[in-house]
Amino acid sequence: MSQQYSSVSGMQHEEPLLFEHAHEAPESISLPGVQADAPSSLDAFKRKKAANIPGLSEPETVRHFVRLSQWNHGIETGFYPLGSCTMKYNPRVNEQIARLPGLAHVHPDQPEDSVQGILGLLHELQGWLAEIAGFKDVTLQPAAGAHGELAGLMMIRKCLDARGEENRKKVLVPDSAHGTNPASAALCGMYTVEIKSGADGRIDLEELKKHLDGDVAALMMTNPNTAGTFETDIKEICQLVHDAGGLVYGDGANLNALVGVARPGDMGLDCLHINVHKTFSTPHGGGGPGAGPVAVNDTLKPFLPVPRIVENAGVYAIETEDEQSIGTILSTLGQTGVYMRANAYISAFGKQHIHKIAQDAVLNANYVLSRLKDKYHVPFEGLCKHECLLTDEWQNKHGVKTLDIAKRLIDLGFHPMTVYFPLIVHGAMLIEPTETESKDTLDAFCDAMLEIAAQCEAGDTQALHDAPLKPIRRRLDETQAARKPVLVWSE
Amino acid sequence: MSVPTDLRYTKEHEWVRIEGDTATFGISDHAQEALGDIVFVELPEVGRSIDAGEAYGVVESVKAVSDVYAPVAGEVIEINETLESEADLVNSDPYGAGWIIKVKISDNNADTDLMNPSEYESFLDE
Amino acid sequence: MRYLPHTQNDRQTMLDSMGMQDMSALFADVPSEFYLKEGEIGLPDALSEAGIVKKFINAAEKNRNAINTRCFLGGGTYYHFVPAVVDYVISRGEFLTAYTPYQPEIAQGTLQALFEYQTMIARLTGMEVSNASMYEAATATAEAALMARRVTRKTRTVIAGSVNPRYRAVTQNYLSRLEGDYVEVDMGILGTDLSKVIAEIDDTTASVIVQYPDFYGSVYDLVPLREACDAHKCLMVVAFSDVSAFGLIEAPGAYGADIAVGSGQALGIPMAFGGPHLGVFACKQKYLRQMPGRVCGLTKDADGKRGFVLTLSTREQHIRREKATSNICTNQGLMCTAAATYMALMGDEGLKTVANHSAAALDLLISKLPSHVVAASGAHYNETVLTFESGKKRDAFIAEARKQDIFAGIPLEKFDKTIEAKHLLVATTEMIEEDDVNALIAAMEVAS
Repeated sequence: MSQQYSSVSGMQHEEPLLFEHAHEAPESISLPGVQADAPSSLDAFKRKKAANIPGLSEPETVRHFVRLSQWNHGIETGFYPLGSCTMKYNPRVNEQIARLPGLAHVHPDQPEDSVQGILGLLHELQGWLAEIAGFKDVTLQPAAGAHGELAGLMMIRKCLDARGEENRKKVLVPDSAHGTNPASAALCGMYTVEIKSGADGRIDLEELKKHLDGDVAALMMTNPNTAGTFETDIKEICQLVHDAGGLVYGDGANLNALVGVARPGDMGLDCLHINVHKTFSTPHGGGGPGAGPVAVNDTLKPFLPVPRIVENAGVYAIETEDEQSIGTILSTLGQTGVYMRANAYISAFGKQHIHKIAQDAVLNANYVLSRLKDKYHVPFEGLCKHECLLTDEWQNKHGVKTLDIAKRLIDLGFHPMTVYFPLIVHGAMLIEPTETESKDTLDAFCDAMLEIAAQCEAGDTQALHDAPLKPIRRRLDETQAARKPVLVWSE
Repeated sequence: MSVPTDLRYTKEHEWVRIEGDTATFGISDHAQEALGDIVFVELPEVGRSIDAGEAYGVVESVKAVSDVYAPVAGEVIEINETLESEADLVNSDPYGAGWIIKVKISDNNADTDLMNPSEYESFLDE
Repeated sequence: MRYLPHTQNDRQTMLDSMGMQDMSALFADVPSEFYLKEGEIGLPDALSEAGIVKKFINAAEKNRNAINTRCFLGGGTYYHFVPAVVDYVISRGEFLTAYTPYQPEIAQGTLQALFEYQTMIARLTGMEVSNASMYEAATATAEAALMARRVTRKTRTVIAGSVNPRYRAVTQNYLSRLEGDYVEVDMGILGTDLSKVIAEIDDTTASVIVQYPDFYGSVYDLVPLREACDAHKCLMVVAFSDVSAFGLIEAPGAYGADIAVGSGQALGIPMAFGGPHLGVFACKQKYLRQMPGRVCGLTKDADGKRGFVLTLSTREQHIRREKATSNICTNQGLMCTAAATYMALMGDEGLKTVANHSAAALDLLISKLPSHVVAASGAHYNETVLTFESGKKRDAFIAEARKQDIFAGIPLEKFDKTIEAKHLLVATTEMIEEDDVNALIAAMEVAS
């Protein structure tokens, strides 16, 4: 093998569960406050049995979690080309500013005059997101992408009801859609009908037309779609749905392909949720927190959730009531700390550089595609946007599946791509490099993929089936986990 | 792929064994193979009335989930409670210990949609 | 642009290798009518890193915060102590910059931390199982109501008027597009009479939702509620807004709750003007398959070593789609790691001390109240309602306190505008010292 990959086996530590650190709890951390016990009025309610939370000393706690952290792969560790997830570098300065006491230790119910600074930052971000996405206004309340979908569909529902069209309940969803789409529609009392994608993986206009009738409430679409290609007929699609009396919901999970280059709002969509933990580089944190603000056009603006941040002559206020609003969907204004990071991220690019996000993201995806397309089956020919889709069709002949390829990549030092999604192709491998990876990294990843393809052709596939061998754990038995679920530790 | 000759089948790959006015339901060998390792079977309550073609339960593997539909109408008289702890019986013995429910067949049953074993085998070949 | 590694040379080399002239070739599939002109988007000029720091410091200085004031605000968000270690652990790039652990072999760190979190939350709330987080308390409450509908196949939801009005509003909103009754039980201001709630439970009821300690900070016995739920086969949902209470007082599980939901923000997570916080969701084992959200489970790897994976994913949206238990996908994962670190540092003793100090501060405050200000009667944890002779007098006090940089409390009508404007919701934590209480009382005396 010519190529040297970054992965090596280093010193790894087994680390027991917290509950297995078998010793008596040391003296507990010293705590401030009124150094007294609770009043006797609470005596009747006291716990009869302690909760049995272990309690370790500070050095033990730090070592425990640092060891656990070392079993993880993060963007800071290495390449993380998870399709549809936009795993880009998370700037450290964003972490620093989000922790300023004047932002981190502010109570959400402080009087408005004591939070003008943070309200200003949030209001500014609202405006920027509307501008980048090409819409009129934005709500920051949704706590994640799926929550944004719910908010968007609630607004669509309310808008249709206001038009006297309570009966429209059909939500059209392409078969390539994220699973959150139908789940969100069901929560709104609507039902979904799947539209079969065309041979090129895009929405088929003729197929779409068949479903457009008086029952249609909305089309939910992702553009670029989950196959990584742009819906070139976007304008006509929106027009058809509008002509049929429905609205168009945009799933903004893939906004990274367009940011600063083109705007979904200009293409005819009625709203778009934005995953700031994707496009605007707030860290994923091993599964959150994210934030899912929703941008809307004039049609849906009256129905935005409350509370809303408004500005009047340089003074910011929080509006909590509005008759037309869909109401409230969270107990606070939103995931403010996440938005501080998003604001800082956009500030760093500004109008001079913002388009470079999409340009480099799309450049990188197409570059990877061009290097791999002769050795991996490409289901949909042509340009891709910020991510490229391959399948395991050619490797299947050698008894190798997508899962084997993914696990082998781990041994070579890379986080695998998204596997088995979208569902419209068999054995999908969706690769999203993002704009923050260097050409060297992309080349190393492509070399690894080509090496795997060559091993398949040579019939030298044992290492693929055995992989991964290098991490602290090998393939895990998911069947056992699901058959006899053990979700809590018992001594 | 095993297709026992004493059973009838549906296009959704369920089987039914009819004995007098009692019918036993399960999923076919083909179905269990397609789903992979079964981890959970959601069973209906005894006493529930089910129409032919109605979803009466759910079979789950690690990464897939499938409704199971009644081949004939009837009232649930017995459920295979062993599956609650040993769902893998559906994989290892789909036509035996992996049966799912038994129903008392309703009077007004038309079972014309059911396939005999040879019809089911050719359906599988399609 | 310092976040982008490519040089112009790199870009051109890559374009050349694909036979492309320039960047525009990459967007040939986007109709040209949609192109934005570079540099013409309505954003400000790019800032340097130093510029960003300056901008945010300036903005932060325009805010008052809990450190440079005396903060008696609660209502769902509390100023508890955050040990340095918690922030250090969640700043580790391996936790901070990882995705949801879909490739378990290289995410065992996140997964074991989630398993430890689930275990400790189950123990703290007295429940059998916990998920790996919801967004926050209000959506967690709404999800509990939805889960109860699935478990019982019934559609009526009864919620006590003593549940945080924001949790009620979100729950009502979530349920409003679905069939079935939603009943808010009017218990009157500061009402603690559960019999009014019990009277609304019937055989069509899927769940009854109460808060404990309730929105006004009152603590009372929930046993009668359990009996009523058993009689009508409905689920008992207990919400809470400050999980620190259960370091001291009996947890929801001890009263037989079927589902416990609430805010875990007290577990080492800063207030951050409303988020990100942590939604706790725990329930009985038998309802596990109807529980929303992600869960981490124990298993073995190919060599037989103990390991962890996300499990029971067939409940989730990416497999069950419209029939999923919830649409939730991204959740508050990092906040689980924060809470696990916090709980490990505290242990039973530390958690109990936090709760004792929090409750003791409130007790001290109540003991010093002048006669014209009345605290609610009954047992309270760390929050209560003070009632003034008039709205005018209350507002004079709030204003006087503000002059001395004290956030005295939240006017109750801010949560529910139907409530007369003379009440103040006041909360304490272990961050409130005796001189903070004295300053608050002094302001009260000046204003009276």
